[in-house]
Amino acid sequence: MGSYLIRRILRTLLVMIGISVVVFAFVRSIPGDPATVMLGERATPEAAAALREQLGLNKPWFINYKDPAHLLEAQYPKYMAQLLQGDLGSGLKSNIPVRDELVNRFPATAELAIAALLFALLVGLPAGILAALRRNSVWDNLATTISLVGVSMPVFWLGLLLSYFFAVRLGWLPPSARLGNDVTLEPITGFYVLDALLRGQPAAAWDALRHLILPAIALGTIPLAIIARITRSSLLEVLGQDYVRTARAKGLASRTVTLKHALRNALLPVVTVIGLQAGALLGGAVLTETIFSWPGLGSWLYEAISQRDYPVIQGGVIFAALVVSVVNLLVDLSYAALDPRIQYR
Amino acid sequence: MNKLLLTALLASLPTAGAATLVFGNNGDPVSLESGNITDGISIAVQRQIYDTLVDFKDGTTDPVPGLATSWKANKDATQWTFTLRRGVKFHDGTPFNADAVIFNVNRWWDPKNAYGFRNQGHTYEIWGQLMGGYKGDATSVLKNVVKINDYTVRFDMNKPSTVFPSVIGSGYFGIASPAAIKKDGAKYGTPASKPVGTGPFIFQSWKTGDRIVLLPNKLYWGSKPKVDQLVIRSIKDASQRLNELKAGTIDFANDLTPDSLKAIQADKNLVAVKRPSFNVGFVSLNNRNEYLKNDKVRQAISMAINKKAIVDAFWPGLGISNASFLPPVLSWANSKNVPADYRFDPTAAKKLLAEAGYPNGFSIDLWYMPVSRPYFPQPKPIAEAIAADLSAIGIKVNLKTEDWAKYLEDRRKEPGFDMYMIGWTGDYGDPDNFYSAYYGPGGSDDINWNPAELVRLLDQGRAAVSQADKAKVYAQIHEITYKANYRIPVVHSQPLAAARSYVKGWVPSPLGSEAFNNISVAGKK
Repeated sequence: MGSYLIRRILRTLLVMIGISVVVFAFVRSIPGDPATVMLGERATPEAAAALREQLGLNKPWFINYKDPAHLLEAQYPKYMAQLLQGDLGSGLKSNIPVRDELVNRFPATAELAIAALLFALLVGLPAGILAALRRNSVWDNLATTISLVGVSMPVFWLGLLLSYFFAVRLGWLPPSARLGNDVTLEPITGFYVLDALLRGQPAAAWDALRHLILPAIALGTIPLAIIARITRSSLLEVLGQDYVRTARAKGLASRTVTLKHALRNALLPVVTVIGLQAGALLGGAVLTETIFSWPGLGSWLYEAISQRDYPVIQGGVIFAALVVSVVNLLVDLSYAALDPRIQYR
Repeated sequence: MNKLLLTALLASLPTAGAATLVFGNNGDPVSLESGNITDGISIAVQRQIYDTLVDFKDGTTDPVPGLATSWKANKDATQWTFTLRRGVKFHDGTPFNADAVIFNVNRWWDPKNAYGFRNQGHTYEIWGQLMGGYKGDATSVLKNVVKINDYTVRFDMNKPSTVFPSVIGSGYFGIASPAAIKKDGAKYGTPASKPVGTGPFIFQSWKTGDRIVLLPNKLYWGSKPKVDQLVIRSIKDASQRLNELKAGTIDFANDLTPDSLKAIQADKNLVAVKRPSFNVGFVSLNNRNEYLKNDKVRQAISMAINKKAIVDAFWPGLGISNASFLPPVLSWANSKNVPADYRFDPTAAKKLLAEAGYPNGFSIDLWYMPVSRPYFPQPKPIAEAIAADLSAIGIKVNLKTEDWAKYLEDRRKEPGFDMYMIGWTGDYGDPDNFYSAYYGPGGSDDINWNPAELVRLLDQGRAAVSQADKAKVYAQIHEITYKANYRIPVVHSQPLAAARSYVKGWVPSPLGSEAFNNISVAGKK
């Protein structure tokens, strides 16, 4: 187990370096560069060239082979040298250190993603189980239909709809943001609901929770639908297997068979899907965060890509890849917990 | 522990009774450093923190005293002397004076200045664009800036400039505290620093992507803020800004889509606010395209587009179409020989096309922008309407678009786009700001059309001292460009804003942003 972990961590590091190279080359090969975007409607070729030089974008990407004396003046070696000192650079225009923004924004995204996942699990799992146990019943049809709608609903549309209906029409929940205008909260962890409780501000915690509900539903709907469907089909498959029949034949109560034997095995693919969804949640957060003015990683990265803000894109992508790797590692480790036959060496 | 407890207690105290004004900004500022930004979102915030030397009369582009109480030029407008306001202090308590002005100007225009634009480079691009170049450049309008005494500064010009006070008054050039900039260095303007100006509001905090909190400047030299706190929220999505307005979680907001006008008017809690038009949205035709080279083809295209119908459909009650590149406020610079609007006549257009040798029409690309701008809030459907009008005279239009960064780059890369949509929002109240942006050397390679006479007239316009002289020069430019049909103005739009009905005293500026010191929220629940 220990050596497995070390190997996994080393592999993750290699993957990170690979990703840094790929993202570095990739962002620079997208047509249109930061200089053009910064200048906008005013961009003349001369002004863009001057700005490009200021930003150091006229330097070679990886190796300065034309000029051996300045071999390491290319953009990538400089970036890596910085990175090894823990410096991810700063936004090209804003000059805000990428690291500060990551620290600032990741908790917002994580809080939202966790809330969305919780929502997806709390509704998706029971729905899937119910659908499998009452196969072809009204419940099954309902769950299947809803999950189909959930998967095909565009997130931004659902977000706007939720916001309009629950905030504007009914006035039950705030339309966007993480906190009300008059609520002040000194963050500790960056998870506002938790922070408010730690600070002993129950009113602020309630306010933060209310702000979390709509975006979490918007973001959680697709994973919910997927989880419900996978749970249903996986459970149906397991229920048809011999050992379940054996267990039943032994005279075990139907409830025990389903929950203790079948469900535990049926959850394996569900856990895999949750792991995969962790990456998708980061992606879905882009739209959800934009719609709900949620100051997280997604909306920040989205903006950076349209602005071609290279250091921000690089830092953001490398960090997101790291998060997904860690989540996947956790998922792999949880397999062993769920299924004793799986061992890591 | 005690401190923590106290903070917790203080934070949980109700803030009721305090008047909070909440503005829905259409995104997060890039930076709060004046002299580092060119975008309207940042300027909207900076206008609250910083003052400029010259201000503009509410709702107009007419210069009025700001941090300078008066200014005057010598006879040929090559020297401008500014008298500064006395007794003004920056938010950090340091005095505002001639040294502060010169410190700021040097940051903007001297590429060698130690406190100049950021650590990545040392030139502030907008300065170069509005002033022709930087310190030491032959093309620079400004030659030198001199301190006469503590409250008098003189600007020496390389060439006559009558618009200098308006330019230096534009929102980019907020005067910041030299002491604060020296203290924070490269961090200045980021959330880790405290931007310091002389403006009506004092910076309190900035949570990126979320909100900026400002407090009133009790010592403000001008009209003092009427609220206890100003919160500027970052709400990128226009429909969400409208939702927030309707839900009452924000008090007023900018840049709503024209189609929300009806919804705003139908809501008795909201008031629609139309910002005076100071922009132009237009279609550019490229001289490199063999069809578009032909004068008659371009004329036919301009006659075939039913601009009035398009404006009525996409900017109902919020836009006008006319035959000028200039927004209505600058109509004094239009020629009287040019009709008020283009003629819409598809039959005549078809005839012209036949005369040009294309009785059966031809096929051509029209590029529309992938982003929404005040002048083209919904570029795609507008492009579709133009395409439909052109197909009526036999021109088959292929609609094309691409990512904004690439769009901006490709339009200027030879051969450029055949026909493309773009526009402009003004920085200061002079016709030069509009024409030079798209004619003359600045726009040289997107349509490949810059006759020498036009270039000469543009120079002449910049040097004209009296408004009457200016009007004469720009009337000629208007005639030449109108006849040529290379850039067909479609709309001058009024950007739509809205406020809760209890918001009083908001007078939006045509220049895009204004200080909020006169706004009150009496009766807000």
